[in-house]
Amino acid sequence: MQASINPPEKVQSDYRFDMESLVGYILLTGVLLSVALLAVSFVWRWVRVANLRFEHSIVGMNFFEFISSTLRQMASRAFRPRLFLNMGIAVLMLTPFVRVLASVFYFAFVEHNWKYTLFTSFVLSVLTYSLFLR
Amino acid sequence: MSFELLFLISIVAGFVGAMSGMGGGVILIPVLTLFGMDIKHAIAVSIVSVIATSSGSASAYVRDRITNLKVGMFLEMFTIVGALAGAAITLASGRRFLFILFGIVLLSSWIALFRQRNEGWRPAAHQDVFSRWLELKGSYYDRSVQHTIVYHGARAYFGGPLMFGAGLIAGLLGIGAGALKVLIHDLVMGLPPKVSTTTSNLIIGVTALAGTSVYLAAGMIDPGLAAPVILGVVFGAFTGTRLLVRLTNQTVRHIFLGVLLVLGVEMILRGIWAVWG
Repeated sequence: MQASINPPEKVQSDYRFDMESLVGYILLTGVLLSVALLAVSFVWRWVRVANLRFEHSIVGMNFFEFISSTLRQMASRAFRPRLFLNMGIAVLMLTPFVRVLASVFYFAFVEHNWKYTLFTSFVLSVLTYSLFLR
Repeated sequence: MSFELLFLISIVAGFVGAMSGMGGGVILIPVLTLFGMDIKHAIAVSIVSVIATSSGSASAYVRDRITNLKVGMFLEMFTIVGALAGAAITLASGRRFLFILFGIVLLSSWIALFRQRNEGWRPAAHQDVFSRWLELKGSYYDRSVQHTIVYHGARAYFGGPLMFGAGLIAGLLGIGAGALKVLIHDLVMGLPPKVSTTTSNLIIGVTALAGTSVYLAAGMIDPGLAAPVILGVVFGAFTGTRLLVRLTNQTVRHIFLGVLLVLGVEMILRGIWAVWG
């Protein structure tokens, strides 16, 4: 182990700051947005029917069909608690996906690190394939 | 099960999951099944919540510069493939002997960690060529000892394939399998415990998403049940994360040991229960 008493700012490179900030804020934004949407759905449902239980399953669709169905409901302005519930789940599932997508772009176009561009592209490809499963 | 009870259980699960780097599934699944939920549905709900626990904790750890992103991104290649295979196995078969096997693996790991519980972190003596090629090195500022810790990862050629197994268990049982991931980082790759725990959190999110996709395709995701669990685990995880960065490596390892023991015994008992129940 090597240890020094340097404050953290003096040992962090600009690269680490940028990459870690990007990943950290994608995850933070995704989780906070998801939590906010889920909280709105429960509060709205409580106000409407005084019951917090949703009877609802996602059946017969893959992730992208689920996202597409949710977006269609948003476009038709069919706003109701269940739509916010679906949006919360969708945003949560998109969060690690977007994190991997951003990593691919970062390694390819900012870092020019082809080794890690390849690694993260592989992860993105497998994730995309799995989200198309039905 | 009421919203309030589900929410409270999830807060505790999220807190323990973040503190140990294991995700909250290890507590959620037994409790949900205790209240009568089918184990496959409990696994599906749990694995969605694991995305929330992992992402909530990892967002803070990454910004605190403790997580090693390159270690995480290299190992994710193995865990996601394992998670897809594991989730497919769960849908197709029974799991009683796998529960027992998993329990045995965890208890063996517990024994290995227990024997070295009072030892500090022992870094890898030297970095092999492959790990150097992968650029597995880093540093972080440890607030508990007020030092910057500089380290390098080693034996990535073992770490990668072993992480396939951790991903398999994660997809199979709907848990983060952070216990196995932390062990691989710590004992095989020579990473400091805090780096192990925080990097494990980052990997768990992507691994859980891969597993979730299989359960979603099987129509086993119930948003009405998953949502209160997600809200609870996120709240618990943020609290646990804030506490972790103030603890020493030794304390983190002791907490991890306790949770690992409970998890191992619980898995074996559940397996035996399934055989004779």
